[in-house]
Amino acid sequence: MPDSPCCICGQPSTKTIRHRAFCEKHYATATRERPLAWRSLAAQIGGLVVFVAVIYGLQWIIQPIFTPTTLFFTGVALSLVPAFIWLSFFYQQDRVEPEPKGYVLGVFVLGGLLAAAVGAPLVNQVFRLSEWIYADPLTAILGNILIVGFTQEFLKYAAVRYTVYGLPEFDEATDGIIYATAAGLGYATVLNIQFIIASQGVDIGAGVFRIVVTALAQASFAGVVGYFLGRAKFEDEPVWWMPLGLSLAALGSGVFNWLRGQVTQGGGVTVSGSVATPWIALVLAVVVAVGITALVTWLIRRSIQLTLAEA
Amino acid sequence: MTMLASLKTSLNRDQLGEWLVIALTLSALLLGWGLRATVESRTMGFTADGITARVPAGWLWRLGSGMQVLHATDPASAGFSTTYNIETRPVVADAKPEQLVGVLSLERGQRLTAYRVLDQQPLIINGREAYKTTFVYVEANPTLTHKDLPSVVHGVDFVFINGSRAIIVTYEADENAYDTDFAEFRRFLDSITF
Repeated sequence: MPDSPCCICGQPSTKTIRHRAFCEKHYATATRERPLAWRSLAAQIGGLVVFVAVIYGLQWIIQPIFTPTTLFFTGVALSLVPAFIWLSFFYQQDRVEPEPKGYVLGVFVLGGLLAAAVGAPLVNQVFRLSEWIYADPLTAILGNILIVGFTQEFLKYAAVRYTVYGLPEFDEATDGIIYATAAGLGYATVLNIQFIIASQGVDIGAGVFRIVVTALAQASFAGVVGYFLGRAKFEDEPVWWMPLGLSLAALGSGVFNWLRGQVTQGGGVTVSGSVATPWIALVLAVVVAVGITALVTWLIRRSIQLTLAEA
Repeated sequence: MTMLASLKTSLNRDQLGEWLVIALTLSALLLGWGLRATVESRTMGFTADGITARVPAGWLWRLGSGMQVLHATDPASAGFSTTYNIETRPVVADAKPEQLVGVLSLERGQRLTAYRVLDQQPLIINGREAYKTTFVYVEANPTLTHKDLPSVVHGVDFVFINGSRAIIVTYEADENAYDTDFAEFRRFLDSITF
Protein backbone atom coordinates (compact mmCIF):
# COMPACT_ATOMS: atom_id res chain seq x y z
CA MET A 1 0.00 0.00 0.00
CA PRO A 2 1.46 3.43 -0.88
CA ASP A 3 2.42 5.63 2.08
CA SER A 4 1.52 8.97 0.42
CA PRO A 5 -2.01 10.41 0.34
CA CYS A 6 -4.30 10.41 -2.69
CA CYS A 7 -3.06 13.08 -5.13
CA ILE A 8 -6.66 14.21 -5.75
CA CYS A 9 -8.32 14.37 -2.32
CA GLY A 10 -5.50 13.85 0.21
CA GLN A 11 -7.22 10.80 1.75
CA PRO A 12 -5.21 7.64 2.48
CA SER A 13 -4.29 5.96 -0.77
CA THR A 14 -4.51 2.34 -1.79
CA LYS A 15 -3.26 2.29 -5.38
CA THR A 16 -0.82 4.03 -7.69
CA ILE A 17 -0.74 4.95 -11.36
CA ARG A 18 2.85 5.48 -12.51
CA HIS A 19 4.04 6.70 -9.09
CA ARG A 20 0.91 8.79 -8.39
CA ALA A 21 -1.05 7.63 -5.34
CA PHE A 22 -4.85 7.33 -5.46
CA CYS A 23 -7.62 6.35 -3.06
CA GLU A 24 -10.11 3.72 -4.26
CA LYS A 25 -12.63 6.30 -5.40
CA HIS A 26 -10.24 8.42 -7.42
CA TYR A 27 -8.41 5.42 -8.85
CA ALA A 28 -11.78 4.38 -10.27
CA THR A 29 -12.45 7.86 -11.77
CA ALA A 30 -8.91 8.21 -13.13
CA THR A 31 -9.15 4.91 -14.99
CA ARG A 32 -12.74 5.36 -16.16
CA GLU A 33 -13.40 5.64 -19.86
CA ARG A 34 -15.76 8.55 -20.08
CA PRO A 35 -17.28 9.36 -23.45
CA LEU A 36 -18.69 12.75 -22.40
CA ALA A 37 -15.70 14.73 -23.59
CA TRP A 38 -15.52 13.35 -27.12
CA ARG A 39 -19.30 13.07 -27.41
CA SER A 40 -19.76 16.75 -26.61
CA LEU A 41 -16.98 17.67 -29.07
CA ALA A 42 -18.53 15.47 -31.77
CA ALA A 43 -21.94 16.99 -31.08
CA GLN A 44 -20.34 20.41 -31.30
CA ILE A 45 -18.93 19.66 -34.76
CA GLY A 46 -22.21 18.23 -36.05
CA GLY A 47 -24.28 20.95 -34.41
CA LEU A 48 -22.18 23.72 -35.91
CA VAL A 49 -22.36 22.28 -39.43
CA VAL A 50 -26.16 22.11 -39.09
CA PHE A 51 -26.15 25.65 -37.70
CA VAL A 52 -24.26 26.97 -40.74
CA ALA A 53 -26.62 25.13 -43.11
CA VAL A 54 -29.72 26.47 -41.33
CA ILE A 55 -28.54 30.09 -41.24
CA TYR A 56 -27.31 29.97 -44.82
CA GLY A 57 -30.56 28.35 -45.96
CA LEU A 58 -32.70 30.84 -44.03
CA GLN A 59 -30.81 33.74 -45.50
CA TRP A 60 -31.26 32.35 -48.99
CA ILE A 61 -35.01 31.73 -48.52
CA ILE A 62 -36.03 34.80 -46.49
CA GLN A 63 -33.40 37.24 -47.76
CA PRO A 64 -33.82 39.45 -44.69
CA ILE A 65 -33.13 43.17 -44.83
CA PHE A 66 -31.22 44.41 -41.81
CA THR A 67 -30.73 47.88 -40.46
CA PRO A 68 -27.17 48.48 -39.17
CA THR A 69 -28.44 47.99 -35.60
CA THR A 70 -30.30 44.74 -36.21
CA LEU A 71 -27.38 43.43 -38.27
CA PHE A 72 -25.03 44.18 -35.40
CA PHE A 73 -27.17 42.48 -32.76
CA THR A 74 -27.86 39.51 -35.04
CA GLY A 75 -24.10 39.09 -35.49
CA VAL A 76 -23.48 39.22 -31.75
CA ALA A 77 -26.28 36.71 -31.12
CA LEU A 78 -24.85 34.35 -33.74
CA SER A 79 -21.42 34.60 -32.06
CA LEU A 80 -22.90 33.06 -28.92
CA VAL A 81 -24.47 30.07 -30.70
CA PRO A 82 -21.39 27.76 -30.85
CA ALA A 83 -20.85 28.03 -27.11
CA PHE A 84 -24.57 27.58 -26.53
CA ILE A 85 -24.63 24.37 -28.62
CA TRP A 86 -21.68 22.86 -26.75
CA LEU A 87 -22.86 23.90 -23.30
CA SER A 88 -26.44 22.71 -23.87
CA PHE A 89 -25.25 19.30 -25.09
CA PHE A 90 -22.79 19.13 -22.25
CA TYR A 91 -25.43 19.87 -19.63
CA GLN A 92 -27.85 17.43 -21.20
CA GLN A 93 -25.22 14.66 -21.01
CA ASP A 94 -24.17 15.83 -17.60
CA ARG A 95 -27.29 14.38 -15.99
CA VAL A 96 -25.77 10.95 -16.46
CA GLU A 97 -22.14 11.85 -15.67
CA PRO A 98 -22.17 14.95 -13.45
CA GLU A 99 -19.51 17.63 -13.65
CA PRO A 100 -19.71 20.84 -11.55
CA LYS A 101 -21.71 23.15 -13.82
CA GLY A 102 -20.47 26.32 -12.18
CA TYR A 103 -16.85 25.38 -12.80
CA VAL A 104 -17.40 24.65 -16.50
CA LEU A 105 -19.29 27.91 -16.99
CA GLY A 106 -16.69 29.77 -14.92
CA VAL A 107 -13.81 28.48 -17.07
CA PHE A 108 -15.80 29.40 -20.21
CA VAL A 109 -16.24 32.97 -18.92
CA LEU A 110 -12.59 33.14 -17.82
CA GLY A 111 -11.46 32.04 -21.30
CA GLY A 112 -13.47 34.89 -22.77
CA LEU A 113 -12.18 37.42 -20.25
CA LEU A 114 -8.57 36.42 -20.90
CA ALA A 115 -9.15 36.79 -24.64
CA ALA A 116 -10.63 40.27 -24.19
CA ALA A 117 -8.17 41.51 -21.56
CA VAL A 118 -4.92 39.87 -22.65
CA GLY A 119 -5.05 37.86 -25.89
CA ALA A 120 -6.64 40.32 -28.30
CA PRO A 121 -4.81 43.43 -27.00
CA LEU A 122 -1.48 41.58 -27.09
CA VAL A 123 -1.93 40.38 -30.66
CA ASN A 124 -3.61 43.46 -32.13
CA GLN A 125 -2.16 46.37 -30.18
CA VAL A 126 1.21 45.30 -28.79
CA PHE A 127 2.37 43.17 -31.74
CA ARG A 128 0.14 44.98 -34.33
CA LEU A 129 0.14 41.71 -36.21
CA SER A 130 -2.02 42.71 -39.17
CA GLU A 131 0.48 45.44 -40.14
CA TRP A 132 3.38 43.10 -40.93
CA ILE A 133 2.38 39.46 -40.86
CA TYR A 134 1.47 39.27 -44.54
CA ALA A 135 4.98 40.25 -45.69
CA ASP A 136 5.64 36.71 -46.98
CA PRO A 137 4.36 33.15 -46.33
CA LEU A 138 7.16 32.21 -43.89
CA THR A 139 6.55 35.32 -41.80
CA ALA A 140 2.82 34.59 -41.81
CA ILE A 141 3.33 31.00 -40.60
CA LEU A 142 5.93 31.90 -37.95
CA GLY A 143 3.94 34.92 -36.73
CA ASN A 144 0.78 32.85 -36.44
CA ILE A 145 2.58 30.13 -34.45
CA LEU A 146 4.80 32.27 -32.20
CA ILE A 147 2.39 35.08 -31.42
CA VAL A 148 -1.18 33.97 -32.10
CA GLY A 149 -0.74 30.26 -31.33
CA PHE A 150 1.27 30.55 -28.13
CA THR A 151 -0.80 33.44 -26.78
CA GLN A 152 -4.11 31.69 -27.34
CA GLU A 153 -3.07 28.26 -26.14
CA PHE A 154 -1.23 29.58 -23.08
CA LEU A 155 -4.28 31.59 -22.01
CA LYS A 156 -6.55 28.56 -22.37
CA TYR A 157 -4.00 26.51 -20.41
CA ALA A 158 -3.88 29.20 -17.71
CA ALA A 159 -7.69 29.36 -17.51
CA VAL A 160 -7.68 25.69 -16.48
CA ARG A 161 -4.31 25.23 -14.76
CA TYR A 162 -4.73 28.06 -12.26
CA THR A 163 -8.42 27.44 -11.44
CA VAL A 164 -10.01 23.99 -11.55
CA TYR A 165 -6.87 21.89 -12.12
CA GLY A 166 -6.01 21.64 -8.43
CA LEU A 167 -9.56 20.98 -7.24
CA PRO A 168 -10.82 17.51 -6.23
CA GLU A 169 -13.54 17.88 -8.91
CA PHE A 170 -10.82 17.62 -11.58
CA ASP A 171 -10.69 13.88 -11.03
CA GLU A 172 -10.60 12.31 -14.51
CA ALA A 173 -8.18 12.56 -17.41
CA THR A 174 -11.02 13.69 -19.69
CA ASP A 175 -11.75 16.64 -17.38
CA GLY A 176 -8.74 18.38 -18.93
CA ILE A 177 -10.43 18.25 -22.33
CA ILE A 178 -13.81 19.36 -20.99
CA TYR A 179 -12.49 22.40 -19.13
CA ALA A 180 -10.00 23.40 -21.84
CA THR A 181 -12.75 23.17 -24.47
CA ALA A 182 -14.89 25.45 -22.31
CA ALA A 183 -12.00 27.94 -22.12
CA GLY A 184 -11.46 27.65 -25.90
CA LEU A 185 -15.12 28.36 -26.65
CA GLY A 186 -15.06 31.35 -24.31
CA TYR A 187 -12.01 32.60 -26.19
CA ALA A 188 -13.72 32.02 -29.56
CA THR A 189 -16.89 33.79 -28.45
CA VAL A 190 -14.97 36.94 -27.55
CA LEU A 191 -12.97 36.85 -30.81
CA ASN A 192 -16.21 36.55 -32.78
CA ILE A 193 -17.94 39.35 -30.90
CA GLN A 194 -14.91 41.60 -31.39
CA PHE A 195 -14.98 40.80 -35.11
CA ILE A 196 -18.67 41.75 -35.32
CA ILE A 197 -18.05 44.99 -33.40
CA ALA A 198 -15.03 45.90 -35.54
CA SER A 199 -17.01 45.23 -38.73
CA GLN A 200 -20.08 47.07 -37.35
CA GLY A 201 -22.17 44.05 -38.28
CA VAL A 202 -21.32 41.50 -40.91
CA ASP A 203 -22.89 39.84 -43.91
CA ILE A 204 -24.76 37.03 -42.16
CA GLY A 205 -23.99 34.36 -44.77
CA ALA A 206 -20.23 34.95 -44.71
CA GLY A 207 -20.18 35.85 -41.01
CA VAL A 208 -21.68 32.58 -39.85
CA PHE A 209 -18.87 30.66 -41.55
CA ARG A 210 -16.26 32.74 -39.79
CA ILE A 211 -17.98 32.35 -36.42
CA VAL A 212 -18.20 28.58 -36.75
CA VAL A 213 -14.66 28.12 -38.08
CA THR A 214 -13.23 30.19 -35.20
CA ALA A 215 -15.23 28.23 -32.63
CA LEU A 216 -14.24 24.84 -34.06
CA ALA A 217 -10.56 25.76 -34.24
CA GLN A 218 -10.40 27.23 -30.74
CA ALA A 219 -12.24 24.29 -29.21
CA SER A 220 -10.13 21.71 -31.07
CA PHE A 221 -6.72 23.09 -30.17
CA ALA A 222 -7.93 23.68 -26.60
CA GLY A 223 -8.73 19.94 -26.62
CA VAL A 224 -5.06 19.21 -27.28
CA VAL A 225 -4.00 21.41 -24.34
CA GLY A 226 -6.68 19.71 -22.22
CA TYR A 227 -5.44 16.22 -23.08
CA PHE A 228 -1.91 17.10 -21.97
CA LEU A 229 -3.25 18.77 -18.80
CA GLY A 230 -5.30 15.70 -17.93
CA ARG A 231 -2.36 13.35 -18.37
CA ALA A 232 -0.08 15.70 -16.43
CA LYS A 233 -2.37 15.52 -13.43
CA PHE A 234 -2.98 11.79 -13.33
CA GLU A 235 0.29 10.35 -14.53
CA ASP A 236 3.87 10.99 -13.64
CA GLU A 237 4.88 12.68 -16.86
CA PRO A 238 8.34 14.18 -17.57
CA VAL A 239 8.91 17.94 -17.17
CA TRP A 240 8.74 18.51 -20.92
CA TRP A 241 5.24 16.99 -21.13
CA MET A 242 3.17 20.15 -20.73
CA PRO A 243 5.56 22.39 -22.74
CA LEU A 244 5.31 19.78 -25.51
CA GLY A 245 1.50 19.87 -25.36
CA LEU A 246 1.39 23.65 -25.49
CA SER A 247 3.87 23.72 -28.38
CA LEU A 248 1.86 21.19 -30.40
CA ALA A 249 -1.37 23.12 -29.82
CA ALA A 250 0.31 26.43 -30.73
CA LEU A 251 1.89 24.88 -33.82
CA GLY A 252 -1.45 23.43 -34.95
CA SER A 253 -3.32 26.64 -34.18
CA GLY A 254 -0.77 28.79 -36.02
CA VAL A 255 -0.62 26.61 -39.10
CA PHE A 256 -4.43 26.38 -39.16
CA ASN A 257 -4.77 30.18 -39.00
CA TRP A 258 -2.36 30.57 -41.90
CA LEU A 259 -4.01 27.81 -43.92
CA ARG A 260 -7.44 29.30 -43.31
CA GLY A 261 -6.20 32.60 -44.69
CA GLN A 262 -4.76 30.82 -47.72
CA VAL A 263 -7.87 28.82 -48.63
CA THR A 264 -10.30 31.69 -48.15
CA GLN A 265 -8.17 34.13 -50.13
CA GLY A 266 -7.57 31.60 -52.90
CA GLY A 267 -11.16 31.87 -54.12
CA GLY A 268 -10.96 35.62 -54.57
CA VAL A 269 -13.50 38.20 -53.54
CA THR A 270 -17.02 38.60 -54.90
CA VAL A 271 -18.39 41.86 -56.25
CA SER A 272 -20.23 42.38 -52.95
CA GLY A 273 -16.91 42.25 -51.14
CA SER A 274 -17.39 38.94 -49.35
CA VAL A 275 -14.89 36.10 -49.56
CA ALA A 276 -15.95 33.71 -52.31
CA THR A 277 -14.98 30.40 -50.71
CA PRO A 278 -15.74 30.50 -46.97
CA TRP A 279 -17.00 26.90 -47.11
CA ILE A 280 -13.46 25.64 -47.79
CA ALA A 281 -12.38 27.06 -44.43
CA LEU A 282 -15.36 25.29 -42.84
CA VAL A 283 -14.37 21.97 -44.43
CA LEU A 284 -10.81 22.50 -43.19
CA ALA A 285 -12.02 23.31 -39.66
CA VAL A 286 -14.31 20.26 -39.59
CA VAL A 287 -11.51 17.96 -40.79
CA VAL A 288 -9.13 19.37 -38.15
CA ALA A 289 -11.76 19.14 -35.40
CA VAL A 290 -12.74 15.56 -36.27
CA GLY A 291 -9.08 14.54 -36.53
CA ILE A 292 -8.11 16.06 -33.19
CA THR A 293 -11.18 14.67 -31.42
CA ALA A 294 -10.50 11.17 -32.76
CA LEU A 295 -6.80 11.32 -31.90
CA VAL A 296 -7.31 12.64 -28.38
CA THR A 297 -10.06 10.09 -27.68
CA TRP A 298 -7.86 7.25 -28.90
CA LEU A 299 -4.90 8.47 -26.82
CA ILE A 300 -6.95 8.69 -23.63
CA ARG A 301 -8.50 5.27 -24.20
CA ARG A 302 -5.08 3.76 -24.85
CA SER A 303 -3.62 5.40 -21.75
CA ILE A 304 -6.41 4.05 -19.54
CA GLN A 305 -6.08 0.55 -21.01
CA LEU A 306 -2.33 0.59 -20.40
CA THR A 307 -2.87 1.72 -16.80
CA LEU A 308 -5.37 -1.04 -16.17
CA ALA A 309 -3.12 -3.62 -17.80
CA GLU A 310 -0.22 -2.56 -15.57
CA ALA A 311 -2.47 -2.82 -12.50
CA MET B 1 13.06 6.03 -2.39
CA THR B 2 9.84 6.10 -0.36
CA MET B 3 6.50 6.95 -1.97
CA LEU B 4 6.46 10.28 -0.12
CA ALA B 5 9.78 11.24 -1.64
CA SER B 6 8.46 10.08 -5.01
CA LEU B 7 5.38 12.28 -4.61
CA LYS B 8 7.56 15.25 -3.69
CA THR B 9 9.66 14.63 -6.78
CA SER B 10 6.49 14.50 -8.87
CA LEU B 11 5.22 17.78 -7.41
CA ASN B 12 8.56 19.43 -8.04
CA ARG B 13 8.46 18.10 -11.58
CA ASP B 14 4.93 19.53 -12.02
CA GLN B 15 6.08 22.92 -10.80
CA LEU B 16 9.12 22.84 -13.02
CA GLY B 17 6.92 21.89 -15.97
CA GLU B 18 4.63 24.79 -15.12
CA TRP B 19 7.53 27.24 -15.13
CA LEU B 20 8.79 25.73 -18.36
CA VAL B 21 5.41 26.43 -19.98
CA ILE B 22 5.63 30.08 -18.91
CA ALA B 23 9.26 30.34 -20.08
CA LEU B 24 8.38 28.70 -23.39
CA THR B 25 5.48 31.10 -23.99
CA LEU B 26 7.63 34.12 -23.15
CA SER B 27 10.38 32.82 -25.44
CA ALA B 28 7.90 32.36 -28.28
CA LEU B 29 6.62 35.91 -27.81
CA LEU B 30 10.19 37.26 -27.72
CA LEU B 31 10.96 35.42 -30.95
CA GLY B 32 7.74 36.87 -32.37
CA TRP B 33 8.90 40.33 -31.37
CA GLY B 34 12.21 39.68 -33.11
CA LEU B 35 10.37 38.47 -36.20
CA ARG B 36 8.32 41.66 -36.26
CA ALA B 37 11.44 43.80 -35.89
CA THR B 38 13.13 41.88 -38.71
CA VAL B 39 10.17 42.25 -41.05
CA GLU B 40 9.71 45.93 -40.25
CA SER B 41 13.36 46.70 -40.79
CA ARG B 42 13.41 45.14 -44.27
CA THR B 43 13.99 47.77 -46.91
CA MET B 44 14.23 48.17 -50.67
CA GLY B 45 16.80 50.43 -52.25
CA PHE B 46 16.21 52.97 -55.00
CA THR B 47 18.38 55.39 -56.92
CA ALA B 48 17.09 58.40 -58.81
CA ASP B 49 18.47 61.76 -59.76
CA GLY B 50 21.74 61.01 -57.95
CA ILE B 51 19.93 60.28 -54.70
CA THR B 52 19.81 56.84 -53.09
CA ALA B 53 17.72 55.70 -50.12
CA ARG B 54 16.12 52.60 -48.66
CA VAL B 55 12.31 52.48 -48.44
CA PRO B 56 10.59 50.07 -45.98
CA ALA B 57 9.64 46.83 -47.73
CA GLY B 58 5.94 46.47 -48.41
CA TRP B 59 5.38 50.18 -48.94
CA LEU B 60 3.86 51.56 -52.11
CA TRP B 61 6.34 53.84 -53.81
CA ARG B 62 6.93 55.50 -57.11
CA LEU B 63 9.73 57.55 -58.55
CA GLY B 64 8.45 60.96 -59.43
CA SER B 65 8.95 63.22 -62.37
CA GLY B 66 10.14 66.82 -62.36
CA MET B 67 10.98 68.06 -58.89
CA GLN B 68 9.57 65.04 -57.08
CA VAL B 69 12.08 62.22 -56.75
CA LEU B 70 10.24 59.73 -54.57
CA HIS B 71 6.78 59.32 -53.05
CA ALA B 72 6.41 56.34 -50.67
CA THR B 73 3.29 55.40 -48.69
CA ASP B 74 2.66 52.84 -45.97
CA PRO B 75 -0.49 50.97 -47.06
CA ALA B 76 -0.96 49.49 -43.58
CA SER B 77 -1.16 52.80 -41.74
CA ALA B 78 -4.51 53.81 -40.29
CA GLY B 79 -6.14 57.18 -41.01
CA PHE B 80 -3.91 59.43 -43.10
CA SER B 81 -1.32 57.17 -44.75
CA THR B 82 2.20 57.64 -43.45
CA THR B 83 4.19 59.13 -46.34
CA TYR B 84 7.83 59.84 -47.18
CA ASN B 85 8.56 62.29 -49.93
CA ILE B 86 11.82 63.44 -51.52
CA GLU B 87 11.86 66.38 -53.88
CA THR B 88 14.54 68.63 -55.29
CA ARG B 89 14.45 72.32 -56.17
CA PRO B 90 17.02 74.44 -57.92
CA VAL B 91 18.63 77.08 -55.70
CA VAL B 92 21.12 79.85 -56.29
CA ALA B 93 24.72 79.40 -55.21
CA ASP B 94 25.36 79.92 -51.46
CA ALA B 95 21.63 79.62 -50.73
CA LYS B 96 20.66 78.89 -47.14
CA PRO B 97 18.08 76.17 -46.32
CA GLU B 98 15.94 78.59 -44.31
CA GLN B 99 15.32 80.65 -47.44
CA LEU B 100 13.61 77.73 -49.08
CA VAL B 101 11.64 76.94 -45.94
CA GLY B 102 9.83 80.27 -46.23
CA VAL B 103 8.83 79.49 -49.82
CA LEU B 104 7.57 76.03 -48.85
CA SER B 105 5.47 77.44 -46.02
CA LEU B 106 3.86 80.01 -48.29
CA GLU B 107 3.00 77.37 -50.88
CA ARG B 108 1.50 75.01 -48.35
CA GLY B 109 -0.36 77.74 -46.56
CA GLN B 110 -2.26 78.43 -49.78
CA ARG B 111 -2.83 74.80 -50.66
CA LEU B 112 -3.52 73.06 -47.33
CA THR B 113 -6.25 73.59 -44.74
CA ALA B 114 -5.19 75.04 -41.37
CA TYR B 115 -1.48 74.74 -42.20
CA ARG B 116 0.68 75.75 -39.25
CA VAL B 117 4.44 75.70 -38.76
CA LEU B 118 5.15 74.44 -35.24
CA ASP B 119 8.91 74.63 -35.06
CA GLN B 120 11.95 75.50 -37.17
CA GLN B 121 15.58 74.88 -36.38
CA PRO B 122 18.94 74.30 -38.09
CA LEU B 123 20.70 71.07 -37.24
CA ILE B 124 23.31 68.59 -38.45
CA ILE B 125 22.12 65.29 -39.92
CA ASN B 126 24.85 62.70 -40.54
CA GLY B 127 27.47 65.46 -40.82
CA ARG B 128 25.41 67.57 -43.25
CA GLU B 129 23.83 70.92 -42.51
CA ALA B 130 20.05 70.75 -42.63
CA TYR B 131 17.03 72.77 -41.66
CA LYS B 132 14.14 71.09 -39.86
CA THR B 133 10.56 72.40 -40.03
CA THR B 134 7.75 70.74 -38.13
CA PHE B 135 4.20 71.48 -39.30
CA VAL B 136 0.58 70.39 -39.09
CA TYR B 137 -2.48 70.72 -41.32
CA VAL B 138 -5.92 69.23 -41.73
CA GLU B 139 -6.22 66.79 -44.57
CA ALA B 140 -8.97 68.09 -46.86
CA ASN B 141 -9.96 64.80 -48.42
CA PRO B 142 -10.51 65.31 -52.13
CA THR B 143 -12.78 62.24 -52.36
CA LEU B 144 -16.31 63.42 -51.65
CA THR B 145 -17.58 59.89 -51.14
CA HIS B 146 -15.19 59.34 -48.19
CA LYS B 147 -17.11 59.09 -44.95
CA ASP B 148 -14.09 59.44 -42.65
CA LEU B 149 -13.57 62.54 -40.55
CA PRO B 150 -10.72 64.76 -41.78
CA SER B 151 -7.35 63.80 -40.26
CA VAL B 152 -4.90 66.09 -38.55
CA VAL B 153 -1.60 65.50 -40.34
CA HIS B 154 1.67 66.01 -38.49
CA GLY B 155 4.76 66.40 -40.66
CA VAL B 156 8.38 67.42 -40.78
CA ASP B 157 10.69 68.65 -43.57
CA PHE B 158 14.45 68.26 -43.62
CA VAL B 159 16.00 70.59 -46.17
CA PHE B 160 19.57 69.98 -47.41
CA ILE B 161 21.54 72.11 -49.85
CA ASN B 162 23.50 70.07 -52.39
CA GLY B 163 25.34 72.38 -54.81
CA SER B 164 22.77 74.10 -56.98
CA ARG B 165 19.80 72.19 -55.68
CA ALA B 166 17.94 71.77 -52.42
CA ILE B 167 16.83 68.31 -51.36
CA ILE B 168 13.64 68.30 -49.29
CA VAL B 169 12.85 65.13 -47.36
CA THR B 170 9.33 65.18 -45.91
CA TYR B 171 7.65 62.86 -43.44
CA GLU B 172 3.87 63.10 -42.94
CA ALA B 173 1.70 60.93 -40.71
CA ASP B 174 -1.61 60.92 -38.89
CA GLU B 175 -1.11 62.85 -35.65
CA ASN B 176 -1.75 59.61 -33.69
CA ALA B 177 0.95 57.72 -35.61
CA TYR B 178 3.55 60.48 -35.93
CA ASP B 179 5.61 59.70 -32.85
CA THR B 180 5.36 55.91 -33.24
CA ASP B 181 6.43 55.94 -36.88
CA PHE B 182 9.15 58.57 -36.51
CA ALA B 183 11.88 56.05 -35.61
CA GLU B 184 11.32 54.25 -38.91
CA PHE B 185 11.45 57.55 -40.78
CA ARG B 186 14.71 58.34 -39.05
CA ARG B 187 16.18 55.10 -40.47
CA PHE B 188 14.95 56.16 -43.92
CA LEU B 189 16.50 59.62 -43.47
CA ASP B 190 19.81 58.09 -42.39
CA SER B 191 19.82 55.85 -45.50
CA ILE B 192 19.67 58.80 -47.91
CA THR B 193 22.86 59.60 -49.77
CA PHE B 194 23.41 62.22 -52.46
